[in-house]
Amino acid sequence: MAASIYLPMLEYFMYYLYQAVVPRTVKMAEDQDWTAVYPTAASFKPSAVPLPIRMGYPLKGGVSPDKQGNLELIKIPNFLHLTPAAIKKHCEALKPFLTEWPSALDSDEKCTEHFPIQVQTKDFVSSGASLRNPNARIVTMKVPLSSLNLDDHARKKIIKLAKERYCEETDTLTLVTDSCPLKQQNYDHAMYLLTVLYHESWKMEAWEEDKAREDMEEYEWQDSPSQRNVVELLERTKGTEERKKDLLSQPEVQEYKDAIVIMKNHGETEENLLRYKEAVKKLYNI
Amino acid sequence: MTKVSRTIVEVLHAGRADLFVISWSKSEVIEPIPSHTAHSIKELEVGDIFHTQSFVLSSSSLQQPAVSSQEEIVIPRKKTWNKVAVLQALAGTVKRDVTAYDYRFQDDPILSPSGSLDVKILTLAEESGRNVAKYFISTYPKYFQTDYAEPHIPCFMPEVTEPQIEGVSEAALKERIQLRRVTDAVDLYDQLLQGGNTVSLNVTNDLLDLICLYGDRDPVKESFLQQTLSHISQYLTSLPHSENNNAERIFGLLSEPNTRSYSALIQGMVKHGAFSKAIETYTDLRRNGLIGDVAIFNALIRAVWGSYPTFNERVEKSMNFLVEMESQKIKPNLNTFNAVLKCLLNSGKFGRASAFSVFSEMKALNIEPSLGSYNFLIYMFYNAALKDHEEANIAILDNVMNEILGKSFTPQHPEDGFFFTSAMTICLKFNYLELAYKVHELLNVGENWRAKFFELIAQNENIETVLKWYRDLIPSVLSIKKMNFAKDQNVLNEILALMAREKHSVEVQESFAECALDIMKIFDDPNKNITLQWTVSSIICLVRIFLAAQRRAEAWNAVGMFQRNNRVPTVELLTEFLECSMKAGDVDQAVELLKLSAGFCIPDTPKLIQKLQEKFELSETHRSILADLEVEFNFVQ
Repeated sequence: MAASIYLPMLEYFMYYLYQAVVPRTVKMAEDQDWTAVYPTAASFKPSAVPLPIRMGYPLKGGVSPDKQGNLELIKIPNFLHLTPAAIKKHCEALKPFLTEWPSALDSDEKCTEHFPIQVQTKDFVSSGASLRNPNARIVTMKVPLSSLNLDDHARKKIIKLAKERYCEETDTLTLVTDSCPLKQQNYDHAMYLLTVLYHESWKMEAWEEDKAREDMEEYEWQDSPSQRNVVELLERTKGTEERKKDLLSQPEVQEYKDAIVIMKNHGETEENLLRYKEAVKKLYNI
Repeated sequence: MTKVSRTIVEVLHAGRADLFVISWSKSEVIEPIPSHTAHSIKELEVGDIFHTQSFVLSSSSLQQPAVSSQEEIVIPRKKTWNKVAVLQALAGTVKRDVTAYDYRFQDDPILSPSGSLDVKILTLAEESGRNVAKYFISTYPKYFQTDYAEPHIPCFMPEVTEPQIEGVSEAALKERIQLRRVTDAVDLYDQLLQGGNTVSLNVTNDLLDLICLYGDRDPVKESFLQQTLSHISQYLTSLPHSENNNAERIFGLLSEPNTRSYSALIQGMVKHGAFSKAIETYTDLRRNGLIGDVAIFNALIRAVWGSYPTFNERVEKSMNFLVEMESQKIKPNLNTFNAVLKCLLNSGKFGRASAFSVFSEMKALNIEPSLGSYNFLIYMFYNAALKDHEEANIAILDNVMNEILGKSFTPQHPEDGFFFTSAMTICLKFNYLELAYKVHELLNVGENWRAKFFELIAQNENIETVLKWYRDLIPSVLSIKKMNFAKDQNVLNEILALMAREKHSVEVQESFAECALDIMKIFDDPNKNITLQWTVSSIICLVRIFLAAQRRAEAWNAVGMFQRNNRVPTVELLTEFLECSMKAGDVDQAVELLKLSAGFCIPDTPKLIQKLQEKFELSETHRSILADLEVEFNFVQ
């Protein structure tokens, strides 16, 4: 605030010394090439920008200070070097470096179908003594498990191996590697991990035979206490003439089984509970 | 759904997964199954076997158009480029800013220098600051060892100027050669030989190269200004070549000199002016049965230029060398042809004809002629014309310009730089305006030729174009060169005449008046050591410009200059001024004017006095003054 009071005095002084301090905005033509004035990112220069900009808390008179010597305008980043005309020119200049997009890949679904593995990397640009940024080595690789050739056992095993790296809603396996110092090394490491996971999940170890009911990921009705209970109940009510298999193939039993399985696997909701109620009622012939 | 996929699905629905596996492997086609089939398969909990990430290899016999398009996905080849290609491409989008100050200065009207003197002071100050910094870094390198830059930037680290390896050894000699310490290297070589060690031929050749390049003395580090001056003076003075110099001595010590040693020696001799010696050394080379190389022959042809004054001898000798070159199966390069062209310079008609054959030879060998070659060419054709004011054939220059338009040039030859000055001088001399525009287009760099360019435009074009070029050139480039520009009195006079010629709109007149003020300042600045004379016409123009811009005070000052410079104004001018003041109603000034005109004894003064008396009601004082004037005038007459 104080600076804005003294600035006119400074200008008078300079004027006295130099007689005519004319900013070069006066000499600029209206159709000049702006990309030549601000070819790169540069701080705001009031004598080079021919716009009557004001910025800052209003002075006592009620208006923001003007652009001469305005630190607020200099502090903020500006994009005077990236006008639409400049961007057009840059795009034209960069076109020779580009190749054509394959015409067969014209939708997102086709891209994920043919190229399911997605690799994300970050590059950092900053002005400073060092070009290096340690965060540039991180590589994130995402694969939908549906695109991998897995049978039931392999799928369950790979999900168990991957633990929190697998997301159920989107069915993607995400591998983030940053243990190597270089990006290329991390990419290779991620590919290696994916290969290893895939092959390991197909293998059947000896100790996997000992998988017990407690280790199962999903509730299975076959040979469960619930099934035994139902069979017992039916046997008692209907007599022992019918065989277990025929008992189980009755539609009420199937319905009960569905209700139980859904409740155990997907949690208890209003709908599930209602279904269970109906199924139980049917079982008891109520 | 294709036949194969249908079969597979049916098999699965029947619950026979084992059968499926067999039938799948037997199928000839690997294709992605449409999604609805895949969905049904999922329900059977067989697993998502079909969603493989593979390309589509389709066999046409089983294809059906209704299914998803079986195009091949063609991945294009990856393009590679070098490290700076992207930056260069982006840099190409940026052009020069017309109103900007020189890149060395801060972009601020207060902080950037305003006149040529300020520019000089600032540049010298910056340069001296840089030199001081360099001095400190090189004198105390141990304080400047921390390296923050990643990747390492070697030129920011202190230079290793002192040789690290001590003692008398070949490695130490190599180091000194690399650091360009000529005298130290020679001393070390002598010590090595005295100690009985032999130095390998390669290292000796390196040493010979070093001595011949620097002329037997240590290279001197020059500052920026010295460099700009020295490259001009280099052309005028040649370093003297002393007898018994080290190069020849060391050469003599060599038991088996090879082509490279001879090459170094001959080139050194030619560089320092010992032309005949160079040719003798060449005959030595031939006697020893060795072949020459391109550099030797280039040097020899240059020696021919230096040593034989008459053109016949020159041509003969250079022809001899060229024939020898061919017999030794050495391919000529750009420098050879430039040297030959230099020989042909002052050779009249024959030279001109041969020049064309030289150029066609260059084309045949696929060597791109440099700007220096073109310079020699136009020099050959226009030099006589320039000197004797003959009419010259414009076609040559036209053809040259057509050739080189659109090509980018890097300096390859010391004569390259002179191309633009000579081209522009020719254009100026013979008033070739379109050519001048072409030359300007070709390159946006250039110093002297711009002043001449501007002069040409000023002479020929109308005022709008001139002003446009003025605005383009003056603020950025020529403001620094203002001193040189202002020396050219003709140009200034031309400008003044131009501005005074026609009547324009108010803003234009205002800017003219500003211009005129600037020019006046240039003329009257006591600091400058140049003598510029005001001519009558220029002062008249000045006054008229001011009058047109309705600035009578400045006009009055300008009129005062007549007296100071002992010039006499014309009647028309005075009439104009008088009318102007009468229009503005400034009677005092009118009377002053009449006094002035009487002082200059201008014949029409009584008429003017009458005019004034008619128009205005004059006061007592004025009438008396006028009466006095009339009397005086009649008395003088």
